Amino acid sequence: MFLLRHALQLVLRERRRSMAAALGVGIAAALITSVLLFGVASGTTVTRRALADLPVDAQVVLTPGADPAAAEAIVRSDPAVRDVLPFTLVHFNSATLQKSGSATQTATGVLVGVDAGYSDTTGLFQVAQGTSTTSRITVSRDLATNLGAVPGDTVRFALPGGGSADMIVSGITDITGADLILGPVDAAHRAAGANPAVDVAVIDRASLAAIAAGVPAGATAADPGAQGGGPSPVFAPEPAVRQELQLRYDHALLPGDPASAQTWLTDVRHRIEGRGAGTFLVADDASDSLAPIAADLVWGQILFIFLAFPGVALALALSRLAADATADATRRHAALLRARGATPGQLQRVFMGATALTAFAGALVGSLVGVLLASLRFGSELAASDPVGAVLRAVIIAVVASTVLATAAAAFPLRDQLRQEVAAGRQELQRARAPLWQRLYLDVLAIVAAVVVYYVVGGGIHPVIGVEGNPTVTIALTSFLAPLLLWTGGTLLLLRLSQRVMARSGGLAGWLERLLGPGGDLAGRSLTARAGAASRAIVVLALSVSFATSVLIFDATYRQQQRVDARLTLGADLKIVPTQPTDASAVAGLAGPGISTVTPFVDRIVYVGSEAQDLLAIDPNTLPEVATLADTFFNGISGADAMAALRSQPDSILVSDETAKDYSIVPGDRVRIRVPDVNGNLVQVDFRMAGIALEFPTAPKDAFLVANQAFVAAQTGNNRISFALASASGDPADVANSLGTRLGTGWQVTDLGATNARLANSITSVDLADLVLLDLIFAVLVAAVGAALFLLAGLVERRRELATIEAIGAEPRQLRALVVGEATVIGVSGLIIGVLSGAVVGYTLLQIMAGLFDPPADFPTVPIPALLGAALAVVLGLAAAVFVADWALSRLRVLAMLRER
Amino acid sequence: MTAVISCRGATRRYARNGTDAVVAVRDVDLEVQAGEFVAIQGPSGSGKTTLLGLLAGLESADEGTVSVLGHDLARLSLTERARLRRSAMGIVFQSFGLVASLTTGENVALPLALAGMDRDERRMRASAALSEVGLRGSEDRRTDELSGGERQRVGVARAIAGDPTLVLADEPTGSLDDENAAVILDLLTATVRKRGASLVLVTHDHESAARADRSIRMRDGAFLDGDA
Repeated sequence: MFLLRHALQLVLRERRRSMAAALGVGIAAALITSVLLFGVASGTTVTRRALADLPVDAQVVLTPGADPAAAEAIVRSDPAVRDVLPFTLVHFNSATLQKSGSATQTATGVLVGVDAGYSDTTGLFQVAQGTSTTSRITVSRDLATNLGAVPGDTVRFALPGGGSADMIVSGITDITGADLILGPVDAAHRAAGANPAVDVAVIDRASLAAIAAGVPAGATAADPGAQGGGPSPVFAPEPAVRQELQLRYDHALLPGDPASAQTWLTDVRHRIEGRGAGTFLVADDASDSLAPIAADLVWGQILFIFLAFPGVALALALSRLAADATADATRRHAALLRARGATPGQLQRVFMGATALTAFAGALVGSLVGVLLASLRFGSELAASDPVGAVLRAVIIAVVASTVLATAAAAFPLRDQLRQEVAAGRQELQRARAPLWQRLYLDVLAIVAAVVVYYVVGGGIHPVIGVEGNPTVTIALTSFLAPLLLWTGGTLLLLRLSQRVMARSGGLAGWLERLLGPGGDLAGRSLTARAGAASRAIVVLALSVSFATSVLIFDATYRQQQRVDARLTLGADLKIVPTQPTDASAVAGLAGPGISTVTPFVDRIVYVGSEAQDLLAIDPNTLPEVATLADTFFNGISGADAMAALRSQPDSILVSDETAKDYSIVPGDRVRIRVPDVNGNLVQVDFRMAGIALEFPTAPKDAFLVANQAFVAAQTGNNRISFALASASGDPADVANSLGTRLGTGWQVTDLGATNARLANSITSVDLADLVLLDLIFAVLVAAVGAALFLLAGLVERRRELATIEAIGAEPRQLRALVVGEATVIGVSGLIIGVLSGAVVGYTLLQIMAGLFDPPADFPTVPIPALLGAALAVVLGLAAAVFVADWALSRLRVLAMLRER
Repeated sequence: MTAVISCRGATRRYARNGTDAVVAVRDVDLEVQAGEFVAIQGPSGSGKTTLLGLLAGLESADEGTVSVLGHDLARLSLTERARLRRSAMGIVFQSFGLVASLTTGENVALPLALAGMDRDERRMRASAALSEVGLRGSEDRRTDELSGGERQRVGVARAIAGDPTLVLADEPTGSLDDENAAVILDLLTATVRKRGASLVLVTHDHESAARADRSIRMRDGAFLDGDA
């Protein structure tokens, strides 16, 4: 009780000391809280985005003979269910089109039966060409292409069990986004990543029911894997006819966190399955979509905390500066307690208790500020995910972590100050010694360890394509270890070096005198005399700037790569797909307002030996103006050289790494490929290998070949294109809208933004803007508070000297020059060192996290305006610190100071 | 003959506990002539140092006027007062008032540097002042290497380096032993008199005060009857 009472008295009596100490802890706690809440909010973001593109949340598959009406009544009674959409799927063994005396046939596919309004509700099966008419079919683009079918043609479908059905084509339908509902619904098939059907025909449900009636009960779908290999030994065959009730849930009831959302979805599934036991089974599409995200998010949240870690460390470093700034108060109060008989041990305990109390109070207030900031920036996302629990968890973690760390951080300077006080009391001599970490060279050891971890242990973030085809991310913990060691070692080394430089900077005073007059001279000499404190201030400022710089570089590169990723997948700003066979000559007609350049693009199945591959036939003159061709896309050749080869030698071809190895071909070798002509007949075309392409716009990470479109057209007589790519001179979404209106139904336009949103289903789906803004605010705040504490500590420490200088004739502007001179040296050193070290840390982060991006960045993106803005904010923060120090200086009571013994 | 210092009814109060005011200097009238040595004597808390602060322009009188070399200090800005201190006054402090980050020579030259004097000239004048107080060749010594007596010699050298018209000394021997105190007082009076400057010495020591041309006793902020 004695210790607690004295600790509390110390906190209350030495209010300035307490507030200075609480400030740094408060900033740290605010940063930790807001970053933790950002992590929670980002969970809601990825959950919402993942489910927003999902056409249906669950598929209720009726068992043969089940009563659909009864099943519908059961599922409709569940409070989570918003929409119930009946759906029928009938497999066909083949589709055949008789035309001009010849028959074209496809392999297996599916007939889909939906009610009117299904497309409006789910967004699926939009008619791209022609119309949707009762009892007639709209066919997928693949089916239309494979059969060469156009509206008005009659297609014969061979059904399981031996029957067939003839149906008239009324239009072309878009099956984008329908993978889950067109594929198998059983868990075994889904886990194995079974491919959904691409030859699809859509018809009204009543008409399909009549066709399904002709399929014998118990008939099964032909197994696509059986071609040449017999039936699959692993999977049970799919029933030929599948009756479903597709469900859309009320998403307002969904928790924001993906793991909680999965639990909620599983509960709903169990509830519905329990009521309809024996009648149906439920395929949980929503939960399947969230599974990879939940795992990714954990790593994402670690990444966010890691990005904010330097900010937290810096904020805690303020505790040390606060201890410097209030050393006088500490010694004074310690002397008072000693005079009252306190032992050195009691002194330690009282001051440590006071430090812990102050840290706790600061952490609590800071944490509440963090909650406020988080609520302002991402309140709606937080509200969706158990906000009370999330806030409580964040506050508890932030308060405990900040209090413990700040108390530990303040313990060493406090111990030294108390030792000085006790030694002074005993008239002992203090021997100045370098800190333990300097004597042990822990800074150098940490940097060496960082290099060893980076190169030997490895690490990094790697995307993994799951069996269901969803990309997930694996992160080795060592990924964070190398930059952590580098940052820690670099910080300590910086502290050691700046201390040495400051202590030996003889020319500094002369330089400052020329700049600022006699006050500058005093500032220079004072900085040299206070090299330890000055170097700590420089390091805090440099690391604040470094923190801001690395976060900005990381964020800019992250955004840039998000765009590149989307551009790589889409191919360009805009992808314009013809809804009927179109020649390359039509592409020129697409040019118009908002379109900078447009280029034809052919994606055709060709044969290298017996192996089918995608041939991407492009125009090497215009494609580079439209699409990103990073050097990392190619092996042994640059993007520019690859295009130059296709231009100068039109028979050039770029092959995949795998193809080059399989066929042992090297640049210059002749490659014979069978390419379909306009009738689908394969024509032999000889190419010459020009290089290896690892990735290419529209075909990330696939096996493909790249050739000159004009050459391929000339050799095959097939000048048809698959689509056109265009670069937009304005916002791609706006240009896509206006272009869609201008082109009408003959073309379908997709823009970059839509692709970006579709890709955004993992860590990279999270917009880091809020986190970056928070980190920047705290970096600037730490820089300003750090500088102010250093300047104020200088004033307190030298108050008698300053009073003397004023008494012997220093003008107010000369005293101000002293403060400005110190701030200038601290500021300029901090900014230069900070920007340089920030660039190194940012680059290291990008190297470690290169796997997050596809393709990896060639170079970090340096956001010059944002960096200048951050530097300006730091300078303004410094100016505020100078203003505070100048104000404190103007309130210096000269006579009182001169009287002090 | 113009008075170097002219105080009329000078009063200085300090607020305490928000409302109460302590009168540190009460209705003081004082004139110091050129070359005159005036000692102000009194016990601790009698207002001596506050009066010295008023004379130096470090404090402002709440009532009355304080004029130095014909300048009414109340009419001068902070900058003008600083310039006046620099150009016409030298101040010696009880606790020496040396700047730890400067060498001995730089400390002496500091007022000259603040006045914008050329580096070589101020170095020369600082050396001369140090020689005058018996510290020839000590320009580059660190102040923490000096003894108490030596430090106060540096303080005296700094006060006289600018050839002031008025030297204000606040208990200059208060931190020294008797032997050093006598030496410093001798030095101070000798160097000031040599320049024909006026000296106002604040002290509680009778012996020191006895050397002055005139000694004034203070108690509770006011001069005792008959003094001044």
